Amino acid sequence: MMPACDFSEESILQAYQNLNITQSNKVLLSRVTNTIFPGTTLKKAEDLMIQDFVLVMSNDCLSTEQQAGFVKGLKGWDDFSKTTFGKAFSKMDQKEAEEAILKGVAMEGENESEIGHTRQFLNTTKRFALQGYLNSEYFMTEIKPYELVPARFYGSKLIENA
Amino acid sequence: MDAMANLNIKSKKENSFDAIVIGSGMSGGWAAKELCEKGLNTLVLERGREVKHVKDYPTTNMMPWELEHRGEILQSVKEENPVVSRCYAYKEDTKHFFVKDTEHPYVQEKPFDWIRGYQTGGKSLLWARQVQRWSDFDFEGPARDGFAVDWPIRYKDLAPWYSHVEKFIGVSGNKDGKPSLPDGEFLPPFELSAGEKYFKEFLKNNYPEREIVVARCAHITGNQDFYAKQGRTLCQNRTLCQRGCPFGGYFSSNSSTLPWAAKTGNLTMHHHAVVHSIIYDDAKGKATGVRVIDAQTKETKEYYADIIFVNASTLNTNLILLNSTSSRFPNGLGNDSGTLGKYVAFHNYRAGISAEYDGLKEYTTEGRRPTSGYFPRFRNLHKQETNFLRGYAAGFSSGRSTYNDHSGIGDELEQSMAKAPEYGPWRMGSHMMGETIPKEESQVSLDPTLKDEWGIPQLKISMDYDANDEAMIKDYLEQMSEMFEAAGFTNIRTRDDKRAPGLDIHEMGGARMGKDPKTSVLNEWNQVHSCPNVYVTDGACMTSTSTQNPSLTYMAFTARAVDHAVKNRG
Repeated sequence: MMPACDFSEESILQAYQNLNITQSNKVLLSRVTNTIFPGTTLKKAEDLMIQDFVLVMSNDCLSTEQQAGFVKGLKGWDDFSKTTFGKAFSKMDQKEAEEAILKGVAMEGENESEIGHTRQFLNTTKRFALQGYLNSEYFMTEIKPYELVPARFYGSKLIENA
Repeated sequence: MDAMANLNIKSKKENSFDAIVIGSGMSGGWAAKELCEKGLNTLVLERGREVKHVKDYPTTNMMPWELEHRGEILQSVKEENPVVSRCYAYKEDTKHFFVKDTEHPYVQEKPFDWIRGYQTGGKSLLWARQVQRWSDFDFEGPARDGFAVDWPIRYKDLAPWYSHVEKFIGVSGNKDGKPSLPDGEFLPPFELSAGEKYFKEFLKNNYPEREIVVARCAHITGNQDFYAKQGRTLCQNRTLCQRGCPFGGYFSSNSSTLPWAAKTGNLTMHHHAVVHSIIYDDAKGKATGVRVIDAQTKETKEYYADIIFVNASTLNTNLILLNSTSSRFPNGLGNDSGTLGKYVAFHNYRAGISAEYDGLKEYTTEGRRPTSGYFPRFRNLHKQETNFLRGYAAGFSSGRSTYNDHSGIGDELEQSMAKAPEYGPWRMGSHMMGETIPKEESQVSLDPTLKDEWGIPQLKISMDYDANDEAMIKDYLEQMSEMFEAAGFTNIRTRDDKRAPGLDIHEMGGARMGKDPKTSVLNEWNQVHSCPNVYVTDGACMTSTSTQNPSLTYMAFTARAVDHAVKNRG
C-alpha cells in the first residue's frame, strides 16, 4: 500500500526564509506566473525563472505585513478559487486561469480578509513578474534592447510617420 | 640620547609632511592636486576605505538583469537605515559607496538626513555633477539683504579659479551670457530637448527676465587629448554615474585629482584614518599637525605639517574643529567668535511640479543625457520684490513619454509588450533649489555624552525650515504653475514632499568666511583667522548658500587657498 501524500511534512524552502513556503506553494506560484506570461507571443514565465524572481523580491523587498498578505493569499489560492469560481486554480486551463486572476484582482473586500490576501498575492505577483520580465536578459536583449553605452543624446529627433 | 627619544625623533620625522589634507573628496582631492603639483610633500587622510578608479567600481558594467533586486534596496536595510534610504542615489548598484545610518550614528535634535560617503573620493563619486558658477548676485546677497555677514570676497576674486578648475575637471556648458550665471570654460553643451526649447522660447516671449539654459555639468564632451592625460575620455551618456565611470566621463577625485596628485610623487595617502583633532601648539602659536585614530586598529597616531587643509565635508569639518580644543582654543579651533558650528544652512529642495504638453508630436529624444535644463534664479535678483528674502533656481527637464499597455495578462500582455511603444505627451518636470538663510540657531555641536566607536563625540545637528523657506516654496509653486499654465501645459501637479533638511546634500557653513574675526571663523583666503596655517575650503567655509550646486565653488576656493598658502610659506 502506498503511503498517502502528507504535505504537512513538506519542508520549508530555505532560500526564502521570510516567507515560510513549500515547494508546492512555489509550483502553484509558477502556475500563476505562467498564466501571466503563457509564452504564446514571448517566452513563457518559467523559461525566465520569473517565479524565482517574484519570491526573491517578496522575501527581500516587502514589509512584514506585505509578506504576510502575499503568503496567505498564495497558500489559500487553490482553495479560494475552488470555493469562489468552482474549480481549483491548479486544475484550470489557461483561459479559466486568466479569468480567475482578473476576477481575483478586482474583488472588493478588507485588506485583512481572505479576499484581501488573495488580492495582495495576485497584485504583488503581477507587479514583480512584470518587473522581472521587463528587466530580464531575454527581454532587454531580444525584444527591447538596452544600451549600456548609448554615447549620444538628441534633444529633437524627428519621429518617422508621426 | 636614549633609545626611546631616538625612536620619537624618527617617528616624528616619518610622520612629518609639508602639508596635510583632511579628507579626499571633492575639495580634499583638489587640495592634494594643487599642493603636490607645487612640490609639497602632502599627506591625505581619508577616514574610509580605499576605492581605486575603475578597479573598485564593482557594478559599473552590470546590466540591469544582473542586479538581483533590479536596483532595489532590501526592506531590512531600509528599516535599519531610514536616512540613507531616503537618498535618491542610494540603490542596489551604488549602496557600497554610502554610509549606513547604523555605522556612524549622529544626534538629530531636529530631523536632518545626513548623507555621507566614507571612501576615497568621498561623495565626489556620487554627486549630481552640476557646476553652475556663483555671481555677485550671490556674493553680495548677505550685505544687500542684511543677513549672515558680508562675504570677504567677490566674484572677480574667484573667477580665475573657477576657470582653473573648470579647465581641469571638464565642464560641458553653453555660453548663455547671463550676469547671474556667469559663463565659464566650457566644452560643448548637451542639447536641450524639444520640450525644453519650447519652454525656453515661451519664456523669451512672455517672461523676458526668465530663461532656461542647459545645466553646466562636469562631463567631458570635447578636448579629448587634454583629458587623456588624466586617463579620462568622453562621457558616453550611460547616466550610470554613481556607480563610478569606467571612462572617467565625469569628474571625481578618484578619476582625476588624486591620481594626478599621485603622479607627482609627492602624495602619501592613508585610508581608515579618522581625524580626532587638529593639534595646536600654544608655544608656537600655530597648528602643528593632526591626531588620527586608525579606524580598524583604534591606534592613535600623530602627523605633523605646517599647512593643514580641512576638507572633511561640511559637518565633519565642523566636528573636527569643535573637537580640536587646547588652552588657547577651549571651545574649538579658531572659535574666538563663538560662531563655530553656527550659521549652518542648506538648500531647500522640498517642492516640485510636473505637467504634460500635448504639442511637438513629431519629436522625441534619443539616447541619454547626464544633465537637464536649468532655470537660473529670477526672484529678488535685481531688487527685493517679494515678501521673502533671496530666491530659488530650479531644475527643468522635459522628455517625450512612451507607453506600452501592461494592464492585461496572458497573450494580450505579451503582445502589448512586444509592440513598439506608442508615443504619449511630453512630460515636464521641475524641482526647486532654494537659498536658505544661515541663522545662529541653525547649528551643529558636540554631544556632551554620546561618542562614536572611536571615542569621538557624536555630532548633534539642529536646523530646520523657517517662514522664509515656506514663503519661497509657495512662490515657487505659484510661479511655476502660472508659467506652466500659460505655456499650455496640462495635468499640472505640484508637490511639497516635506523632506527633512539634508537630503539636498548641500549643507554649508559653520566655519564661515568673513571680514571680521569677531563674527566669522575664516578670512578671505579660507584661513582660520586666529590660526592661519589651517585652511578650511569645503562647504564649512560658506557664508551664504546661494541657489547653485556648491561643489564647483568649493573646488575654486581650494585651488585659490593652496596658491595663497604656498606663496606665503614661512
